[in-house]
Amino acid sequence: MSAPAPALALNAAESSPSPRLRLIPVIETYPKVVAFAQTPAGKVAIAGAFSLGYGCFLPQPADWLVVTLSIALITAFPKLRWKLVAFGTLALTVVQPGAPYLLAAVMLGLLLFWCARRWPHSGFGSRPVATLLSGFSLLILGCCLIPRNSANYFPAWAAIGALSRYIWFIGYALMDRTKSPRDGVALEAGSFQPFWGSTTTPFPKGAAYLRRIEAQDAEQLAITQLKGIKLLAWALVLMLFQRAWMFGFHTYLHLPFASEALAMSVRRTPYPWYVCWVSQVLSFFEFLLQLSIFGHQFIAGCRVAGFNALRNTCRPLSSTTIIDFFNRFYFYFKELLVEFFFYPTFLRYFKRYRRLRVVAATFAAATFGNMFFHFTRDYWMIPEYGLANALANFQVYAFYCVVLGAALSISQLRRRAPRSGFIRGRLLPATWVVLFYCLLDVFGSTARNYPLTEHFRFFGHLLGINV
Amino acid sequence: MDQKSTIRQFMQRLLAQKGDQRPFGDSDSLLLSGRLQSVDAVEVVLFLEEQWGVDFAEIGFDETQIDSVDAIDALVENAGVGK
Repeated sequence: MSAPAPALALNAAESSPSPRLRLIPVIETYPKVVAFAQTPAGKVAIAGAFSLGYGCFLPQPADWLVVTLSIALITAFPKLRWKLVAFGTLALTVVQPGAPYLLAAVMLGLLLFWCARRWPHSGFGSRPVATLLSGFSLLILGCCLIPRNSANYFPAWAAIGALSRYIWFIGYALMDRTKSPRDGVALEAGSFQPFWGSTTTPFPKGAAYLRRIEAQDAEQLAITQLKGIKLLAWALVLMLFQRAWMFGFHTYLHLPFASEALAMSVRRTPYPWYVCWVSQVLSFFEFLLQLSIFGHQFIAGCRVAGFNALRNTCRPLSSTTIIDFFNRFYFYFKELLVEFFFYPTFLRYFKRYRRLRVVAATFAAATFGNMFFHFTRDYWMIPEYGLANALANFQVYAFYCVVLGAALSISQLRRRAPRSGFIRGRLLPATWVVLFYCLLDVFGSTARNYPLTEHFRFFGHLLGINV
Repeated sequence: MDQKSTIRQFMQRLLAQKGDQRPFGDSDSLLLSGRLQSVDAVEVVLFLEEQWGVDFAEIGFDETQIDSVDAIDALVENAGVGK
């Protein structure tokens, strides 16, 4: 029943039919380059180019060595790809600080995956993801009960830290439990924090997704790898641009960061409103830039390993709706929210009320899921401040999530055909969308060092309302 | 109009709403390729529920089931609700 693997498929924006000015040529469409990439010399060139480019992002020589070796072996022996991905991922895990905890988390994930497949009709087997997330929450609550002077305090929180890195990877594995090959339990580990890099958000999703986008023959592998090299080059260009941006705006022009502007507002010595606007706009674009760089870096690695994943950030500034921007700026986080929270709610509840169903599912994902993700990701705030204070400090991000959920709901419910004309059809809607996210970003900080009232005060100052 | 044509017409309309007028084959990936997004998957789910009474809560949901016209057609057949 499953659809054919879109191994050569392009991202919606990447496959845009309109000709565009390109800084990096589309080398994967040149037959001679594709043919060369399939030769031994071409494979050496790809592995070498990747190794050099990726090295710019990896400060630790051990990490670079493991990644380079893994890519070289995968390029040379593509039929052993899955075993080599698992090997590379585990090798990289071993050289990380806190490796025993990380390996224990991987083993726990594999055990849960095996149990869910072995007993599919048990309580755990029928709702494994819900059980996993509830269990993880209970584990955090349990750790809150351990006294600070206990010998178990630090090991317990270190274990929570390791698990928080892997929780969504394990979730994807459990979600895909029926789609994995019967002998694929050990290989599933290759998709847990894969060696090409990832945040707590899995890049790109789980092993079942990787199997669907895997290059099937030598030509597909060559094209996918060339696309990976191209994306890596783009990430490097953006990184250089980011450095020039930071130097130009913050070092040379001395424009404050948004966090500094907020801090001055808290001290009741705010910068003039126009400086705050500049800081806020700069901060928004800096976040986009940062997201693009690490997303491109991870997906480039994934592609060079032979998996034709979609880009994480893809022309977000061209979005003409709030929902489209959300889809384009952090694709794999959006996918996580959709798969873990949106679909389960949408497919189960309020089935007779179409609009309510969309709103409930959107709030489940963009509000509840988003809050759950960030609260557990930043678990360290709990031992640092205590559970009650950690929850209280979360108020600003919680507000952000509620507004985001409402805006995404409205954006989905009022979907309409695109207007004609560049100004009315593209420029104005895109400007409004960017303005919305830029202003919402006032509350999007996960630093959680000031109460909501201070963020509102800063927001008011931007609009010329000084309380 | 037969089942597959109904599905094809719906997918064509969905793509057109997004300004995507490019042609597509029945086996072409639309969701996993990025031409349609998760938000559009919601529209497909609603269409299948309303048109053929497919209950995803019962049969389980996976984006690959609705990734192409062929996949949707097979889904409707396998769910035992097709013509």
